[in-house]
Amino acid sequence: MSSSTIDYTTTRAFLIDTTKCTGCRGCQVACKQWNQLEAEKTSFFSGEGYQNPPAMSEHTFTRVKFKDYEKNGQHEFAFYKEMCMHCNDPACASVCPVGAFRKTAEGPVVYDGTRCIGCRFCMMACPFGVPKYEWSKAFPLVKKCTGCYSRVKNGLHPACATACPTAITYGTRAEMLEEAEKRLRNRPKRYFKTIYGKEEAGGTSVLYLTQQPLDELGFKPVTKRPLPSYTWQALRFVPGVFLTVGGTLSAVSWFQHRKERIRREEKEQKVEKEMK
Amino acid sequence: MGISRRQFLQGGALAAGAVLAGKPGEASVDTPDLRTRGLKSTTTICPFCSVGCGIIVHTRDGKVVNTEGDPQHPINQGSLCPKGSALFQIANNERRLQKVMYRAPGSDRFEEKSWDWALDRIAQRMKETRDRSFKAKETNKKDKKEYVVNRTDGMAFFGGAGLDNEECYLWSKFARAMGIGQLEHQARL
Amino acid sequence: MTNHWIDLKNSDAILAIGCNPAENHPISFKWIEQALDNGGKLIAVDPRFTRTASKADIYAQIRPGTDIAFLGGMINYALQNRLIHEEYVREYTNASFIVNEQYDFEDGMFCSFDDQEKTYDLKSWAYANGPGDQPRRDPSMKDPRSVFQLLKKHFSRYDVDTVCAITGTRKEDYLAVAKAFCATGRPDKAGTILYAMGITQSTHGTQNVRAVALLQMLLGNIGIAGGGVNALRGESNVQGSSDYGLLFHLLPGYLKSPEFDNVDLKGYNEKWTPKTRDPKSANWWGNTPKYITSMLKAWYGDHATKENDFCYSYLPKRSGNYSYSKIIERMGKGELEGLVCMGMNPAVGGPDSLKAREALGKLQWLVTVDLWETETSIFWKRPGVNARDIQTEVFMLPAASSVEKEGSISNSGRWTQWRYAAIHPVGDARSDLHIIDEFCKRVKALYAKDGGAFPEPITRLSWNYGDGHEPDVNLVAREINGYFTKEMTITDKDKVLEFKKGDQVPMFKYLQDDGSTAGGCWIYCGSYTNDGNQMARRDASDPTGLGLFPKWSWCWPVNRRIIYNRASVNPAGEPFNPKRPVIAWDGLEKKWKGDVPDGPWPPMNDAKEGKYPFIMLPEGHGRLYALDMKDGPFPEHYEPVESPTRNLLSRTQNNPVVKLPANVSSDLAKYPCIGTTYRVTEHWQAGAMTRSLPWLVELVPDMFVEISETLARQKGIANGDQVKVSTERGSIQAKALVTSRLKPFNVGGKMIEQVGMPWHFGYAGLATGDSGNVLTPTVGCANTSIPEFKAFLCSIDKGGKRA
Repeated sequence: MSSSTIDYTTTRAFLIDTTKCTGCRGCQVACKQWNQLEAEKTSFFSGEGYQNPPAMSEHTFTRVKFKDYEKNGQHEFAFYKEMCMHCNDPACASVCPVGAFRKTAEGPVVYDGTRCIGCRFCMMACPFGVPKYEWSKAFPLVKKCTGCYSRVKNGLHPACATACPTAITYGTRAEMLEEAEKRLRNRPKRYFKTIYGKEEAGGTSVLYLTQQPLDELGFKPVTKRPLPSYTWQALRFVPGVFLTVGGTLSAVSWFQHRKERIRREEKEQKVEKEMK
Repeated sequence: MGISRRQFLQGGALAAGAVLAGKPGEASVDTPDLRTRGLKSTTTICPFCSVGCGIIVHTRDGKVVNTEGDPQHPINQGSLCPKGSALFQIANNERRLQKVMYRAPGSDRFEEKSWDWALDRIAQRMKETRDRSFKAKETNKKDKKEYVVNRTDGMAFFGGAGLDNEECYLWSKFARAMGIGQLEHQARL
Repeated sequence: MTNHWIDLKNSDAILAIGCNPAENHPISFKWIEQALDNGGKLIAVDPRFTRTASKADIYAQIRPGTDIAFLGGMINYALQNRLIHEEYVREYTNASFIVNEQYDFEDGMFCSFDDQEKTYDLKSWAYANGPGDQPRRDPSMKDPRSVFQLLKKHFSRYDVDTVCAITGTRKEDYLAVAKAFCATGRPDKAGTILYAMGITQSTHGTQNVRAVALLQMLLGNIGIAGGGVNALRGESNVQGSSDYGLLFHLLPGYLKSPEFDNVDLKGYNEKWTPKTRDPKSANWWGNTPKYITSMLKAWYGDHATKENDFCYSYLPKRSGNYSYSKIIERMGKGELEGLVCMGMNPAVGGPDSLKAREALGKLQWLVTVDLWETETSIFWKRPGVNARDIQTEVFMLPAASSVEKEGSISNSGRWTQWRYAAIHPVGDARSDLHIIDEFCKRVKALYAKDGGAFPEPITRLSWNYGDGHEPDVNLVAREINGYFTKEMTITDKDKVLEFKKGDQVPMFKYLQDDGSTAGGCWIYCGSYTNDGNQMARRDASDPTGLGLFPKWSWCWPVNRRIIYNRASVNPAGEPFNPKRPVIAWDGLEKKWKGDVPDGPWPPMNDAKEGKYPFIMLPEGHGRLYALDMKDGPFPEHYEPVESPTRNLLSRTQNNPVVKLPANVSSDLAKYPCIGTTYRVTEHWQAGAMTRSLPWLVELVPDMFVEISETLARQKGIANGDQVKVSTERGSIQAKALVTSRLKPFNVGGKMIEQVGMPWHFGYAGLATGDSGNVLTPTVGCANTSIPEFKAFLCSIDKGGKRA
């Protein structure tokens, strides 16, 4: 899926300044609230500090990671929010055989479950490990952060960005890059000199500023080339059957979903009639 | 369910097969439609800490369907911590008490009662205890003089930091009218 | 808070001591971060490296319960290095006042201590009076009996090395804190001190607060934007519940509840109305008779007349201490028949929980009003007891949540904000207002019908809040504000004001002591006027740019956003810091501009009408030296009741005024670690409001204790292991969180480990766990009785069952 018509200076982006994050996790619960995601059953903590749940999942679209360690006799208690990076040129979209993923002009990479055939190439392709499968369901779909597409479309900020008291700034990607550069310039001692997401994976709609070197916080080093240019190379080596099955299934799925849509619409019409 | 989870998760092909079998998948489409559009909204203040953040509550058919930070509120400007963000689950929670419950002395269970029954019985208990333990006068240990104290020593009233001001005021007024000296709340802890 | 949340942005230095705003008041960081962006410094002083510490420019570790040593050292540092705001100290505090010859201090003891009663004779600390019965003063502050010289002498003992040996703080960290914060002594700099229960939950908690206030007065930081003594209060309306007098010693508006020997209204007024002969002192509490009379008029209406002392005799008179812990103690002895808990959960929230739970079983009846089943409402079926053995009758009433009712709450910055009902209460739940209304009406009816012990205080109680199913909350709010009971003409300077009977009183200076006004809580006068409900205002304009938002909601007193703001200007009325003026005197218009001033009078220098800035004290000057503290005019360091060390500053180990209970122990062989309790971001208070919310339970599902890596190694404990923590009161099980953020304290050369834990857990709700308060002692502050939750001794072992 090429997104070449999109102007990446005007797509909306998150600037996440982890030096300002207090790890309160208001974002994490605000996401659950807006998206009405169920709570996960957890036990104790799932990593350093107070981190929970153990991983992103179909019920958890964003999560604050905790880093609790000592460096040169100094405490480090750092927090950063994990979420879909909303890549400019998303690998999930490029590998999806049925076009279930789409990069929108507003910024969010959105998903259409009615197209999805459950092949999970998106999960394999995403360098950030973001798309999650509804393992707990009999008929699963892929789930991930929607970038609060409906909110953004209606002039609101995403739920997490609205909730965050300190660390998240939301605006056009150009503005956010400019703001990030300004912070690096104004307080050089405060920051590690990189804007993660500026070029990673060919540029993303989530930009991070940190105090600590990125590897200390567990940020994955990701190539700066847009990923779709790799994914096709990679997928060449995936056994043909997958692609073939995927291709065939996309057509089958379209028909199947079409039938289902018709059935649903008919049912809704019937209900409406009854109510009248 | 015909297929075990393990079988089911074996691959895209099988997943697609399930779709072929005609079982409906749950629709999940990231649509541009705002789920709170056109809903009644009310402002409130967060019930947890004392920062006093503004929250908007969206309701549909008498149910809370969304709660989020009030962007116009000068203190929080839309921000909320996880407790404030979880306000939704106070309004929608199966563990909320919905009935008056009564536990008789020595009983091992609660039983459901009506408000009228419980309030009458509580009023009766309050009066009995007040009448029994009311101290009109008291001799002071130090100066051995008798003083009018008009105090009910047999009961205590606790609480208030989670109540509204108007409720606190009436609680204060009622308690003192009842002669309660032992009136305390969380501020002492 | 003397100031308010948004005002934090105006600070040059923010000292967070005994609080953890990043975790317990997360949205405060919106404004703290703004201060930091403007070049301000954040200083975190805490036993643990908290999320607040992680954002701080300077972090200093402090051993729990040693705050006076820490702050005393800073006071000494400011004095020794001449960093104080001298004009402010000389003009606005009692530094220049002379103290009588009897006052003395030696080896941790102030003069006139009664060893039998464990009390001081407070009269021995009085000022030395001069001509006209007024305190003598020496503006040069050089008189050896001046407060300033006594203060200097007292705190000269708090040198950096002694302080650090006591607090366990690294010397370089300590000096960095002292230097950064004391730099705000300059008139153009503002420093704020934020504190919470780390300061108050101590056997010398009030003196901890006083140490904060002393430092702020010396640095000229009270009354100014970005300054203040700011208690970060823990519950959404604990400010309001305190304002309305839900404490044994108070009536609404911080009027004192009558004592047994205040035999009539005259006696009450004589006891509680301070006097001054100094015309420059506003002595605001001099208005006490107006406020108590107006309250009695609101309570007893037409029954309250001048002839019958406005029904003053109907008020209960206290003889002694009925603080929370005393009540639980009496309950445990079977001296109480009944208890009503409005959203309070003593089975988890108070000290020595096992004792409190046992005490509940001695009651004949218990009423709980809450949104949830709490540990208190199900105490009779708690683990380990047989319900059949417990004879308490329990009524568990379902209460409406905050979005299911209408009314106001007051935040920590005193902003009183109106909330609306979004939905009806769930199920059969009802608002607390409705429930209280029903209690009162039904008890009234019983007394009217059957009579009983002294029924008049109840039968004559004025209680008219509409005829609907729900009482009309607006009628309650209007009564709180106050109204005229008859037609009145009031002359205020050059204005003549006419009021009709039933008009709302516009502000408390118009409340009267003759029964012509009724008002439930004087400090809220002005909140609901003839112009409507001021608490519901939503005008987000900020004309000064300081973030005062004068037309957003309403704040007491008189919508003044920063109190003591007359101390933000010099005696001529010019702001000390022209860049951030809170108020300024306009000499041409003859009025103040900016925030609502602390009284309308012209600046202090005005010979005829000028007033001192600390208007709530009869001497009008901030008290560096206090006259009414039970444990001394100056804060003095004592060890917590359970302590791993002898007092390194004097031979007086503990606060001498505090009586020790039996079940405390400083036996280090049995209990070698310091225990401390706190709250986490994800839970709240006794946990009922959060441990049943799945999204929050997901974040923090279990009771846990935090320990250092060294203690973990020593005890063979790995992260996530089950551990047992014990004190002289009991023991609990929890999971261990091993972290480098906790470090042992260097106490006089000996390393002492700490065990930190939240106190949110209990046996009710969705997520359950052992309660931290099973471990804490019932011993409280000498002045307030607030228990010493923050510093006790404990042991920790891997695995094990709780005793």
